[in-house]
Amino acid sequence: MGGSSGGAALEVRDLRREFGGIKALDGVTFAVGPGERRGVIGPNGAGKTTLFNVLTGEVRPTGGSVRLRGEDVTGRPTWQLARRGLARMYQRNELFEPLETRANVALAIGARRGPYRPLTAAPAVELEAADLLLGQVGLAGRERTPARSLSHGERRQLELAVALAASPQVLLLDEPTAGMSPAETARIADLIASLDRTLTILIVEHDVDVVFRLADRISVLHEGRVIADGTAEEIRGDVRVNEVYLGKAVRA
Amino acid sequence: MRRVGSWAAVAAVAAALVSFPYWTAAWESSRYATTVLRDMLVFATFALSLNLLVGYAGMPSLGHAAYFGAGAYAAGIAGQRLATDQLHVTMGAAVLVAGVLALLIGALVVRSSGIFFLMLTLAFAQMVFAIAFQWTEVTGGSNGFPGVRRPSIGELDLSAPDRVFMLVATVFLLVTWLLWRISRSTYGRALIGVRENERRMRALGYDTTRLRLSAFVLAGALAGVAGALAAYSARFVSPSDAGIGTSVTAFVMVLIGGAGTLLGPILGAGIVLYIERVLSSSIPYAQTVLGLLFIGFVLLARQGIIGLARRALALATR
Repeated sequence: MGGSSGGAALEVRDLRREFGGIKALDGVTFAVGPGERRGVIGPNGAGKTTLFNVLTGEVRPTGGSVRLRGEDVTGRPTWQLARRGLARMYQRNELFEPLETRANVALAIGARRGPYRPLTAAPAVELEAADLLLGQVGLAGRERTPARSLSHGERRQLELAVALAASPQVLLLDEPTAGMSPAETARIADLIASLDRTLTILIVEHDVDVVFRLADRISVLHEGRVIADGTAEEIRGDVRVNEVYLGKAVRA
Repeated sequence: MRRVGSWAAVAAVAAALVSFPYWTAAWESSRYATTVLRDMLVFATFALSLNLLVGYAGMPSLGHAAYFGAGAYAAGIAGQRLATDQLHVTMGAAVLVAGVLALLIGALVVRSSGIFFLMLTLAFAQMVFAIAFQWTEVTGGSNGFPGVRRPSIGELDLSAPDRVFMLVATVFLLVTWLLWRISRSTYGRALIGVRENERRMRALGYDTTRLRLSAFVLAGALAGVAGALAAYSARFVSPSDAGIGTSVTAFVMVLIGGAGTLLGPILGAGIVLYIERVLSSSIPYAQTVLGLLFIGFVLLARQGIIGLARRALALATR
């Protein structure tokens, strides 16, 4: 604790990233407390995906800092951030396509233990844990199905299970309901709402109803900057947010 | 019970393989068959090591003969310089030299992937070939390295052809067993994870660069084992053992048999050597047959013979 981080689970300060001359992130600053659910919304090109890529270490920031649970992790490789409790549900599923769903999840569970056991098979407890998690995300009965044979909705559920399997402290959800039917959207939103309250969640989502339902606070990104930060009520009432995003979203 | 039965079957096949020269002794062509089978097993071991990279980790190396050649030279040169024929010394030298070489080259190439990985592994292997070709005082240069000593284990002399065969068959079985265990292990699963989705593996907390390097070194060391076996068998090491032709041959074996399967590379090695050694003496254009076979598999059956067999089995049981 102490200092400026004040016990935030995730804190970014003056984060910048340029691609060529384009400022994808132009000084983003915010802090997310432990257990908080933070929504990140904004129009296309606002920098949401770049923000996530920088947070996971897949893209290096050109300036600013990222602190994960009080530790400065700016520029650290992705796998080290994952070891420190950061997980991501990708917008476009990143699965092990030919492997069974249970093997997909077991690889995530096994990451903590490390892979250097060339002569021993995956412990039975890890497979049981994988099956349990698959049940939680609604994939019971699909344990032996290869990821590539799942429907789109099921693939999103598996993507979430893989992200959760690493037992993260901070979870980044990149458009969890993308491409889902209303019924599937409601189901996955329920699922996210039911996750352990000690888990810190950052959620990027185009479906504003889902964001307003799940998020304690919302940050609005526009042209690489945070233009508003507040509760759902405050954001709904914000003139500027309505101008650049919500107004358009409603009209569209 | 089924487990016990399949173990007994495996043990029977293994025993039959190792004792091949003895139960075929009455055959007119026993000596010839033993020699061909021995070389098939040497190359099967080599192809198995390459398959760890190509089939499991998804790292298509076109320079794997560098480690095969390094192992062969190391076994021969260690025997000569240290004036010993002890298996643990010459085989140990082969594993060490091939493994260290794979570590040095691997550190430079494992971050690349796809066509770049292919080209970089090829380029480094050509450097190894050039060293073998030109460092005449040590390797014999273009004349090759003659007079490789066949090994002994303590007082047990393995220099007779039948015993060399038994050594080759035993080592082949050990390497097959090792790779079978690896393919089912958490380590093997992690390599498959890297092959299928390296980005996700990183996001899960795996240091994928280190994983790829570990596979590269392990595959290199096992190629060194195969190289030592080749040197014992032929009693001679040629620079071409480290050359692109040998790399390509192993690659063809893996692809024809079926990459990412345990039996595939073994079958592939058997088929390629059968065509090169046996068929070529009875029909013209045996090499052309091999080339056409390879093209056919690349175009029509990417999973090799094992993939074809699985498809046939699936059709039959449907």
